[in-house]
Amino acid sequence: MNDINSFLSRLNSTINFSTILPEIILIVGLITIVITDLVNKGKNAIFLYKIFLVSTLVSMGILFYQLISVIAFEDLYTNNIFNNLFRFFILICSFISVLLSVDYVLCSKISLAEFPLFKISAGLGGMILSCATDLITIYVSLEFLALSSCFLSGYTKRDIRSNEASMKFLLMSGASSSSLLYGFSLLYGFSDGQVQLDNIIDKILFSQYLPTICISAAFILAGTAFKLSLFPFHQWTPDVYEGSPTPVVAFFSVTSKVAALSLFTRLFRLIFPYLSNEWHIVVELLAISSMILGNLIAVTQRSFKRMLAYSSISQIGYVMIGILAADLENGYASMLTYTFIYIFMNLGTFARITLFSLRTGTDNIRDYAGLYMKDPVLTFSLVLCLLSLGGIPPLSGFFGKLYLFWHGWKAGLYISVTVALVTSVISIYYYLKIIKLMLTKTTNPVDTLKTYEKQKSLVSSVISTKLKSSVEMAMILCALASTLSGLFMDPIIKITRNTFF
Amino acid sequence: MNLSELIHEFILALIEPGILVGSIGTVSFINTANSAFSLGLVFTCISLLYFALNADFIAAAQLLVYVGAINVLIVFAVMITDQSVSSDSEKRGIGYFTALGACSILFLTIVCIFHKINDFYSSSIHQSEYLKLNLFEQNDVQNIGYQLLNKFLVPFELASLLLLVALVGAINPARDEDEGKDIAENKKNRLFLQLHLVISPHFSK
Repeated sequence: MNDINSFLSRLNSTINFSTILPEIILIVGLITIVITDLVNKGKNAIFLYKIFLVSTLVSMGILFYQLISVIAFEDLYTNNIFNNLFRFFILICSFISVLLSVDYVLCSKISLAEFPLFKISAGLGGMILSCATDLITIYVSLEFLALSSCFLSGYTKRDIRSNEASMKFLLMSGASSSSLLYGFSLLYGFSDGQVQLDNIIDKILFSQYLPTICISAAFILAGTAFKLSLFPFHQWTPDVYEGSPTPVVAFFSVTSKVAALSLFTRLFRLIFPYLSNEWHIVVELLAISSMILGNLIAVTQRSFKRMLAYSSISQIGYVMIGILAADLENGYASMLTYTFIYIFMNLGTFARITLFSLRTGTDNIRDYAGLYMKDPVLTFSLVLCLLSLGGIPPLSGFFGKLYLFWHGWKAGLYISVTVALVTSVISIYYYLKIIKLMLTKTTNPVDTLKTYEKQKSLVSSVISTKLKSSVEMAMILCALASTLSGLFMDPIIKITRNTFF
Repeated sequence: MNLSELIHEFILALIEPGILVGSIGTVSFINTANSAFSLGLVFTCISLLYFALNADFIAAAQLLVYVGAINVLIVFAVMITDQSVSSDSEKRGIGYFTALGACSILFLTIVCIFHKINDFYSSSIHQSEYLKLNLFEQNDVQNIGYQLLNKFLVPFELASLLLLVALVGAINPARDEDEGKDIAENKKNRLFLQLHLVISPHFSK
């Protein structure tokens, strides 16, 4: 008993439990889901989803409370505003993406219980990655996120494309995290055995070991750029996005990108400040090529998910400008604001695609023709989200991009901002192409109309009305957020300002 | 060099060619089973290297995990797959030479770095500092356990959750579903029906 007491007191001195309370709630939710599924023997699977949603909401509430009263605490975890904001983003992503995935998983008649398990574990990995200041914690949480995402992408195991997507993702993420680990090992060696990021900066003699630090930076860049799908490391994105089930793609395209953004920013800001010129140039090159490549190839795509994959590659190119343009008075405000808006835009678009593919079972852009006739609500909300992605004025995507590019221009990144503006115009072209296709009549309306009606009756007989509204709830939430947050831009910017470190 | 250093150098000179030969064998054997066994040789020699460097816990862990579990799994998987004789076309395209160039540059860089470090760390100041640390008298396993539960608590617990999720995720695609059982039953019923249809005309005659 004495040993347990002393152990607990020593534990409490090393890690203050209130700082990781959101993650602990998620872990409790995970264990509850496993045990509930075991007890229920596979029945009543909707209850598992409710557990997930409740635990995410409670976690978000506690995190909100922590955001307001900033608890500063060091060691493995630093709780500054930057990290907390990223944890909050990842919780939002998990919450909304589970809302829009309930229908899909029920319809595809595969077992339901592991889906919330993998989603919780991926969200947990992302949250811990946003706070970790320790090479080992970074690596373990990154692997946690990657492994859970890989299992999610291979979830519909009877679909060959899903198997292919998860194999590609597993192999490529393994290769990239081994390159990341090699970069970490060089840092560990040269800082005389230090694992924590702050101690590494103290102990490394940058002047003496500059070539090796450059090599380490190159390997770390290769490892993190894979997760972000920047230019030479983007090859996995279209195939994996096209093959995985649609709600899983929605989850990927926001959560792993947000977590990888926080990792990238923290590593490159803390460890390589002396190399700022070098890695700024390299990242600028990568960002420009991602923007050009993503937008140009997205023009030629015929599958909606693949087009959204390429468009998300270009969106990350824009966010890279925000990272490069960080300065003392504004912090990473532009990047954080644009990430916040990007989450809602992307999840909104994917919510509508999920609903459409549930009703018609197709992913081709051509089949969206004449959607205005059949379902005006879906069309209108999809138009809103696509215009927001493109950056048309009254919607929030425009304000996010404006702020980002203005920051970039002020920081002197003239070439990047010019390329970004040109490629934004190209992206407006392919978003408007889809909108035009939806709003005009088709050449043969009979075929697609028939398919639409048949699937709709099948779907509504399987699921209850209570569930159907969860996708619609996600849709409404995202539509509101992507339109109105343009108006509420100022408070958002004020919160994200104080994030330079 | 006194006798102990000589013995140390001799042991290292035995182990390192083993690693080299094993790794070359892993990538260049045509028969995959030979390749898997030479991977086992590489892992065993690395474990012996850890013993020679006085890290007993890591050496034992390497033997148990890598040789005993991972290599056995690799050999098992290799044996179970259908081996068609792979015809090795010796055509070396542009990719081969690009990779060769990149790897040789990396190798030369690492060699230069090690030479520089050797000069830096063999100065007498650093050697006296390391001797002061008195590494040989600490209990390795106890130290590792202490650090795992104090300094590295979060990654340790997270790794245990990772193991849980990895187990669930590995079983999830591989298990038998109820849907499969229905299909099998349907097939069985259809077979009986067909048999009945074939046999009953004979009986009714």
